[in-house]
Amino acid sequence: MNGEAVQKVVISLPASADYVDIVRLNLYGIASKMGFSYEDIEDMKVAVSEACNNSVLYAYGQEDGTVEVTFEINGDLLSITVKDEGESFDNLAAHGEGSTLHDKELDDVQIGGLGFYLMQALMDDVRVESQAGCGTKVVLTKRIMRSEETV
Amino acid sequence: MNTNKNEKFNATTESNDGTITVVLSGELDLSVAPEFRLMMKPLVEDSNHNLIINLKNLKYIDSTGIGILLSILKARHGMASQFLVEDVPSQIQKLFDMTGISKFFATKENS
Repeated sequence: MNGEAVQKVVISLPASADYVDIVRLNLYGIASKMGFSYEDIEDMKVAVSEACNNSVLYAYGQEDGTVEVTFEINGDLLSITVKDEGESFDNLAAHGEGSTLHDKELDDVQIGGLGFYLMQALMDDVRVESQAGCGTKVVLTKRIMRSEETV
Repeated sequence: MNTNKNEKFNATTESNDGTITVVLSGELDLSVAPEFRLMMKPLVEDSNHNLIINLKNLKYIDSTGIGILLSILKARHGMASQFLVEDVPSQIQKLFDMTGISKFFATKENS
């Protein structure tokens, strides 16, 4: 696998909730081809959808816009970049580490923030670059876990 | 209602002995969230029935879907009315456990 070039698959789609499932389908195809486990693929489907949901919800306001998703295959490492060019400052950075419900009572719970937490929990690494007026870029990475017996 | 969405997500309601069971199938994501919320509203507000959501045929859920379940939990809790989820697939249970919503769900076994 050393010296193999990075392979890229790039899809561009409307920043609309109806199209996020297309990204999941593409992820399934690429991740299966790479040899990720069923569970890892299911985890990544949620993570990439959460990143896309953020672009859909926060990037473009009332206007139409585009989300670009790049899948980079680098040996057993998959990097997924979700990019939008929205004017609105997105919600991701504001959530910081993301939060769960573990230490809250039901009356104290506020809806929201779970998406970012899930992205971080389900991927090996998450990087967010966001600048007001320049859009947002989320990079999600995951490596295939191989047992000792397989190469 | 957008008929395209019915292929991706469906919610059927059964009424039995004072309990309403809503069976979900397909994918509960951002695209069907508004429709699902709207559909659930009268069922959630009905204090005369117990409410169960069955997830056995649910193939996918995202934080939007989990957020709706959480809203339902809070509303029913506020009404002192029962709300259960049942037949949760393992991948979805994993997400419930990770987010911490599991602790708020009674199961039929321990309700």
